[in-house]
Amino acid sequence: MKFGNLVIAGIVTGSIYATFAVCVSVWYRVSNILNLAVGDFAMAGALGVDNLYRVKGLPLPAAIAATLVVIAVFAYLYDQVVLRIAQDGPRRAEGIVVTFFFTFALSFFIDGVAKMLFGTDVHAAPALWAGQSLAFAGLHLERAGLLVLACAVIIGGAFWLYIRYTLGGKALEACGENPVGARIAGIDTRRYRRLIFVGTAVIAAVFGIVESPITGYTYLSGATISLTGFLAAAYGGFRKPGRALLAGLFIGILEALLGGYVSAEYGDTVLYAILAALVLAWPRGLGFESAVSG
Amino acid sequence: MSSETAALKVSNLSVSYGNVVAVHDATFTVAEGEACAITGPNGNGKSSILMGVTGMVRRRGTVEIFGTPAKNGDVRWAARHGLTLVPERRQLYPDLSAADNIILGCYAWTRSISKARKSGPFGKAIELFPELKPHLKQAAGTLSGGQQQMVAIARGLASDPKILAVDEPCLGLAEAIAKRVYDVLASIHEQGTTLIVVEEAPKRALTLCNRRVEVRNGMAGTP
Repeated sequence: MKFGNLVIAGIVTGSIYATFAVCVSVWYRVSNILNLAVGDFAMAGALGVDNLYRVKGLPLPAAIAATLVVIAVFAYLYDQVVLRIAQDGPRRAEGIVVTFFFTFALSFFIDGVAKMLFGTDVHAAPALWAGQSLAFAGLHLERAGLLVLACAVIIGGAFWLYIRYTLGGKALEACGENPVGARIAGIDTRRYRRLIFVGTAVIAAVFGIVESPITGYTYLSGATISLTGFLAAAYGGFRKPGRALLAGLFIGILEALLGGYVSAEYGDTVLYAILAALVLAWPRGLGFESAVSG
Repeated sequence: MSSETAALKVSNLSVSYGNVVAVHDATFTVAEGEACAITGPNGNGKSSILMGVTGMVRRRGTVEIFGTPAKNGDVRWAARHGLTLVPERRQLYPDLSAADNIILGCYAWTRSISKARKSGPFGKAIELFPELKPHLKQAAGTLSGGQQQMVAIARGLASDPKILAVDEPCLGLAEAIAKRVYDVLASIHEQGTTLIVVEEAPKRALTLCNRRVEVRNGMAGTP
């Protein structure tokens, strides 16, 4: 039973990593740039809803809607003002480095604002599906965990369908494959970059809201989420959301098993050692060479 | 030729890259239904003219497409107004299938994939290259150079262009493949599409085109 419960816990955690990995790799596909702030949007979503609901007394649906709207508007404005200058202005040739810096700065900016607004304590959005954990055949699953899984499946599935069966999805892929070629075909590469930046910010916030009742967040939680998302995205070569998703699930399950069987305290250390060893032993198979060669 | 009948009217076009002037005050017109070659030695500004005209790079001077002034530096505007570029080195999406590459040409006029699949321009683009049919599901980056050139032209045709501007269509291709590409371009022209072909060799260009603009040191003129 212990193994089964650890695997279930790992799948839940892994689906979070997988989702953030997909967010990272999809935006990378479109812009060829890593978004270092994606985890911070999750943290802002969770703490924002908690603040509006618990402190300001807004009804929960209103608190969620208001938080998501604020995050979407903020991401839109950040893209329009900062990323547009970084990627589309005269500094376009240096765009990748500049934009990387600006998403890094954005991460610190969101952390700083969150510290001011929400303090340094651990908080979480209220559970969307309250109650005792679900049990079947001796296995236990947190209700919030099930919601996380459901969100991952719905969002991942919707994205897959969009890419596979719509011209817009193929246009989005074309933007990442060859931005010049995409422009020639009449595709607005800036629009897709903006769409994905805002979309992944909102998706990250949704996951923060759904998942925070399990782990609780502080204003610094975003960096940790981003880090694991990057790691899983790296295993997908940064360009393959499907592989990033599987890598996220794998990391989540491995983390849970190491925490349960090896050491709760040093589980992460062993985990990262194993992941590093895998990269060294099998770089091509894991997509690292393709990430470097583009 | 009056300006009303011109498919493309280029006036005092200049293109610069930093301090380097690649094209200086080029002026020419291309009539509707015409096949016009832009010829000249490499590095003299032929491709830069096409880049400036289609909006791939910013320019000075004016460009009119069927009498409508074209937006400066906006290749999407040009594609949506009937001027489609088939660029040098093809600029395909290497991990997408050949079919996906071609269908993305339809993005210039629709967002519906079912409408694109059923459309005349997409069907015509596929029909023109029967040799591509066994490779339509293959990643474009794994195709041969000739097949990639065909995919690039097919993508251009899927955009339903009134003017197709093709930059160095035979660059790096074997003679037999180059001839096949030229035959297809001739067929596209016969069906009424205005054609602009950038080509280093005037002799080859004139097998297809009835007029040429010669470019030397960034200056365009009629030889």
